[in-house]
Amino acid sequence: MIGFLAFAARRAAEGLWRNRVMSLAATITMVLMLVLLASLMIILSGMQAGLALIESRVEMRAELFDGVAQERVEELTRQLTALPEVAQVSYVSKDEALRRFRAQLAAGGHEDLTEVVGANPLPAQLVVRLRDPKSFGSVRQTLASPAGVVSRIVDQQSSVDRLVSITSWLRVVGLIIIALVGLTVLLIVVNSIRMAVMSRSDEIEIMRLVGASDAFVRWPLIFEGVIIGALGALVTLGLLSLAAGPISQLAGIIAVDLPVASGGRLATDLILVISGVGVMLGGLGAWISVRAYLGSPQAR
Amino acid sequence: MIAVLDEAHAPDAKPRPAVDLRDVSKVYANGRQALAEVDLTIPAGDFVFLVGPSGAGKSTLIRLLLRDELPTTGLIRVGSYEVSAMRSRDVPRLRRHIGTVFQDFKLLPRKTVRENVAFALEVTGSPRRLVSTAVDRVLELVGLTAQAEQRPAQLSGGEQQRTAIARAMVHQPRVFIADEPTGNLDPLISWEIIRLLLHINDLGTTVLMATHNAEVVTALRKRVVALDEGRVVRDAVGGYHGSH
Ligand SMILES: Nc1ncnc2c1ncn2[C@@H]1O[C@H](COP(=O)(O)OP(=O)(O)O)[C@@H](O)[C@H]1O
Ligand SMILES: [Mg+2]
Repeated sequence: MIGFLAFAARRAAEGLWRNRVMSLAATITMVLMLVLLASLMIILSGMQAGLALIESRVEMRAELFDGVAQERVEELTRQLTALPEVAQVSYVSKDEALRRFRAQLAAGGHEDLTEVVGANPLPAQLVVRLRDPKSFGSVRQTLASPAGVVSRIVDQQSSVDRLVSITSWLRVVGLIIIALVGLTVLLIVVNSIRMAVMSRSDEIEIMRLVGASDAFVRWPLIFEGVIIGALGALVTLGLLSLAAGPISQLAGIIAVDLPVASGGRLATDLILVISGVGVMLGGLGAWISVRAYLGSPQAR
Repeated sequence: MIAVLDEAHAPDAKPRPAVDLRDVSKVYANGRQALAEVDLTIPAGDFVFLVGPSGAGKSTLIRLLLRDELPTTGLIRVGSYEVSAMRSRDVPRLRRHIGTVFQDFKLLPRKTVRENVAFALEVTGSPRRLVSTAVDRVLELVGLTAQAEQRPAQLSGGEQQRTAIARAMVHQPRVFIADEPTGNLDPLISWEIIRLLLHINDLGTTVLMATHNAEVVTALRKRVVALDEGRVVRDAVGGYHGSH
């Protein structure tokens, strides 16, 4: 078994070297596709992280009319809390709202203009924390139902919606592009192995003549495809590890924590997916080629 | 080796013929009938010439023995192999049981003599440590020890054919088949090859040689099977065209 594997690997390496131009072309397109795949994974994961960030802060604020009776506010709070999609409802009084506003201004180093105004212009608020960013509807309805309580509803629905739709759009478009490039890679690998089969047709004839089993004829060729895939994955991962630093920095700027650094979850996923896809695509292309140009194992 | 000795010396069993064809016909896909109702039994250890004009069906018969083609009808046995009814995954073992050479030597031009011979062992999964002694042994058998590191292009035609013979012998086949092995060689060199095949036969291997070479066939007085238009038209000792 070890001897067989060594034989197959040696022959595969020999074959790759003999058709080195084709092997190189196949490896380069493989790298191209894998880089695209990795980019898509990184971008999607960044957007996912951004989404999670926004979602974790998803809340709706309902500004209340001045002078609404306390019981009516409490009644509304009870109704909201009863909704399954609501995590928490908290009441912010006019004074509390002003204090927070002043604190925010101070933190930002701004001049406090509220003192000039004299009266408190800020409304009292109900802050509703949601469990799920997509379940604005019923909360909005509940807030709006009692007349004369809520003057204005402020939420982040539109920004969440946009990010969700961009993410799913990007996922679809990205996967289509990658599928197309993947198909191209497959065809190039198939062709590369076809060249290998043809340049070896004499050897293969002799192998069959002297009683080589089918495995000895086929596996070296399939190994060639696998090696193209593995080399492509290796180069891609090398490029990624060079780019990991800048990518993390970039992600940091847009306030997203991307675990691309080695050991991170995304890094592990990338290593698994990139090497898995590379090796499988290479092996599949070679297998298709061997089936097509050597016939099924039964046909001798 | 042990199995073969048992076969030859089993007291109660008739020795199994090396090659046995029963009522074998071959019609190619294009409708061309290459063999018709051929019966042929070659006892183990024999040396048999297969003669006949071009297109008589000699190569077809050889391809059937190697299971490169299947017969349209009839039974074919080579040693203990039911060639016409075997599973395709057993075919490699049949091919190791038969050593084969052709008019074109089918050597790999990039490989040396030694590597060409070793190739037959490598691709059949022989342990690497056994390869070099086995190769040395057959190179000595065919007299190419001195040329072991040369490439086919550096060799004469006779030496190339001897390399092919070495490769065919490296699995210690029980049957040796040569399809016009001297077709590309001049008479003197042809005799060297014939002498080598006779020597291989002396060592116990059954030899079947298809040839056009009337001089050799008449000189040797071995069994001659003549084919014409796919039929066995003569089966006797000695003579090329048959002295009816
Ligand atoms: N693969 C093939 N397909 C169709 N006809 C073939 C094929 N091989 C040989 N033949 C035909 O079968 C006949 C016998 O050919 P062959 O066995 O090569 O004869 P020989 O070796 O005696 O010259 C010839 O008429 C030849 O044209
Ligand atoms: Mg012929």
